Amino acid sequence: MADKEKRRSAAVPSGMSAGKATKSDSDVEFLSQAGVGELLRGAILKMVEARSDDPIGFLADHFCNLASVTDSSPAGCGDEEQMNGGPVSACAQEQQHLNRALWHLRLAHHSQRSAFSNNVRVAYDLLNISACQRGGVRGGLYTQTLQCLCSEGGVPASTSAPLLRRLHCQDHEVVPYDVFRHGVLTCAVFSDYIRQSQKLYAEVCCPHEGPASRALCMAVLGTLKEALETSTGCEPDSIRYLEASAKISPNRLAQAMEGAQSRGPGGNMDAKEFENAAADLFITRVKVVF
Amino acid sequence: MSCSEDHTESVDCTVKPPVFLQIGDTKGDSARSGVCVVDVTLPYGKPINIEKITFKNYYTAYVTVRLLRRKAEKEGSTKWCTALTDLALMDNPHTDGGSQNYFSIHRRQMQVQPDHVESIRLILRQPSSAWRIFSLEDIRLFPHKELAPEKEVSDWLSDLIVVKQPPDLEGLPDPQTVSSSIQQMWALTEVMQANRTTASIGRFDVDGCYDINLLSLT
Repeated sequence: MADKEKRRSAAVPSGMSAGKATKSDSDVEFLSQAGVGELLRGAILKMVEARSDDPIGFLADHFCNLASVTDSSPAGCGDEEQMNGGPVSACAQEQQHLNRALWHLRLAHHSQRSAFSNNVRVAYDLLNISACQRGGVRGGLYTQTLQCLCSEGGVPASTSAPLLRRLHCQDHEVVPYDVFRHGVLTCAVFSDYIRQSQKLYAEVCCPHEGPASRALCMAVLGTLKEALETSTGCEPDSIRYLEASAKISPNRLAQAMEGAQSRGPGGNMDAKEFENAAADLFITRVKVVF
Repeated sequence: MSCSEDHTESVDCTVKPPVFLQIGDTKGDSARSGVCVVDVTLPYGKPINIEKITFKNYYTAYVTVRLLRRKAEKEGSTKWCTALTDLALMDNPHTDGGSQNYFSIHRRQMQVQPDHVESIRLILRQPSSAWRIFSLEDIRLFPHKELAPEKEVSDWLSDLIVVKQPPDLEGLPDPQTVSSSIQQMWALTEVMQANRTTASIGRFDVDGCYDINLLSLT
């Protein structure tokens, strides 16, 4: 933050050095000149949209982000960028765009449909700038975005690797908006899914007995698999949902778990294996990007 | 004519030419008795269960339907029985009401079950001297289709009704919490599947190098 503060002091608003004498009048003038009203309004709107749990942290991030926006514009170019020249500054700029895009993507949860879509759009436009007239986001940048999303969501790299293999794009490829949105949404949903599966493992294994029994884990994941495989056929979606949810009702689960106890395979299943098995159920249903 | 509700096809059958019954042994210009028999035979070895018989009337007053049925499925003897006696097609045999109407005889109207039928005999009667020539046209037989079994929607619906309590949950995790987690995971997967995109990045698209014009330039 120190270097940013240094730059801030350089770009002083012009009206500041003059008239400190007439304080009360110039207060209002100063505020309107600096555009503080707009700044605060924008900040509050963003906060309402994001509904973050930590308002102060959110506002701090927001203003920090804004500062980096104004810094990277041509007028506020720092000395380092001018000295090093073309390729390095482009790379650094790209990283900056990536960070800002990720910040936007973190604002809203994927369940807040419209807010999330807006943020994805903003992030895409940000990343699109750095791709210089290609009509889309550079494949490498897109893949990096997905990797960051997964790791920030708490998914270990080994678990997200198969997912990324399905979604990634090569560096020379150009990613259109729809594919970008699909990839980002899938990663966001996947992070939630993995968190949920970790919670499930904690529920399934009895804490005083160590790792959960293999039979129990397989039975529980088996019911999920069955529900996911409910045939689509020509039924309307509502019937398919009802049928699938009947397969994961508490009664069915109780029956499955009880059956597993008596006649399932022996041994234990550790958390990692359970997580991978659950992830596999999700990843096989992800459409490969081509 | 073929406005059957379930759009079944009529079965192939052979309609023999009508045989007018005559009194005595005279040929040529003999007195018509006003009774005519039409035989409808089905292909050998293919008895059917009749759903309905449809035809177009031509000045027939009454019709009797007799069926040749095989006793059991394959084996067993065949037996003639009367399915319908003197069904009135015309209100008044002398007038022409109903004389050219379309009729349909459903299996519900028959006195016996028209199953495993090999041959049908239609006995036409026209007592009026006004109509010397009478017959039935376009006779069709429609087979009986078994109702399709109800879709198994009810199977899993009945599963929702708890019949018995699972006896032993000792040492097992609480099904409610486990079920709730699984439901969340299922819902998340559904969200992902519902948001699939048809867009592609064109990874495998060729850029026109295989244009036939270019290929021919070797």
